[in-house]
Amino acid sequence: MSKHSALNTFGRSANPAFTRGFEANTQSLPLSEQMTLDGAVNKTGILLSLCFTGAIIGWNIPSLIFPAAITGFILAMVTIFRSKEKAGSTAPLYALAQGVALGGITLMYENQFDGIAIQAIGLTFGILASLLICYKSGLIKPTENFKLMVGAGIGGIFILYMVSFVMSFFGAGISLLSPTNGSLMSIGLSIGIVCIASLSLVLDFDYIEEGVEKGLPKYMEWYGAFSLMVTLVWLYLEILRLLSKIRSR
Amino acid sequence: MNSIIFGGLAVLSLFVFFNLGKVKASKKQTDRDNRINRFGNNNPDNIIEGESEEVTNEDK
Repeated sequence: MSKHSALNTFGRSANPAFTRGFEANTQSLPLSEQMTLDGAVNKTGILLSLCFTGAIIGWNIPSLIFPAAITGFILAMVTIFRSKEKAGSTAPLYALAQGVALGGITLMYENQFDGIAIQAIGLTFGILASLLICYKSGLIKPTENFKLMVGAGIGGIFILYMVSFVMSFFGAGISLLSPTNGSLMSIGLSIGIVCIASLSLVLDFDYIEEGVEKGLPKYMEWYGAFSLMVTLVWLYLEILRLLSKIRSR
Repeated sequence: MNSIIFGGLAVLSLFVFFNLGKVKASKKQTDRDNRINRFGNNNPDNIIEGESEEVTNEDK
């Protein structure tokens, strides 16, 4: 008999206002059905392999960039807003589609600047590993304020991209975002965007770590790996753009 | 040279990710009061300690 006799007598309240804090508590799931760090890392490995496979296809057939990018975007939206439970099937397709798009985009940059692709890949994974070390050791501690700061940064970048996208319909654009703009201001902006994208990785690590602690269901391993993949794709593209700006100087 | 340095960095970083990623974060990271609470509060402080008594009409 537990000490909480009120709970023993009346049970948990069904009032959603009271149950909100408990609904996600799935510690009661059997251990084999709970999310693990091993599972999330292995699934990230699977998604990375699929992305590389897609990149080889995209590198050889660059005309697939747009269909693949649009497919990837739709799959990402479906995974985020429709069904986290089905991340196991949508996330691998997303990784493959984004890989095809990234392969084609990388080829375009590589044709302009020889050796830029391997530099971007090295730096992306370098940032991933160094931030993981910082996170695991407790050097960087994600808090609500940290999340707000990164969220505000992402919001600002999103608005900037949207304005640039709308302006492109009228034959204009924001020159600071151009990959061939080697001005200090433009490079500074790119460095800022790379920093925000990198800090998003810390939020992804924390998401996975907390999910494991709270014993979330197994499918959340796929969702955690998917979140990491989305951030890595964004970071890679921003590093490509930054390197291209630096080499345009 | 460019390929060797950055290729090596990528391989080394992936090795670190796949090994360190499976290790639980340090106590310094996990035992904090200001952690982001995404999946609801598991804090036992939410449960009020004490005994409850059933109130019946006869008691009034």
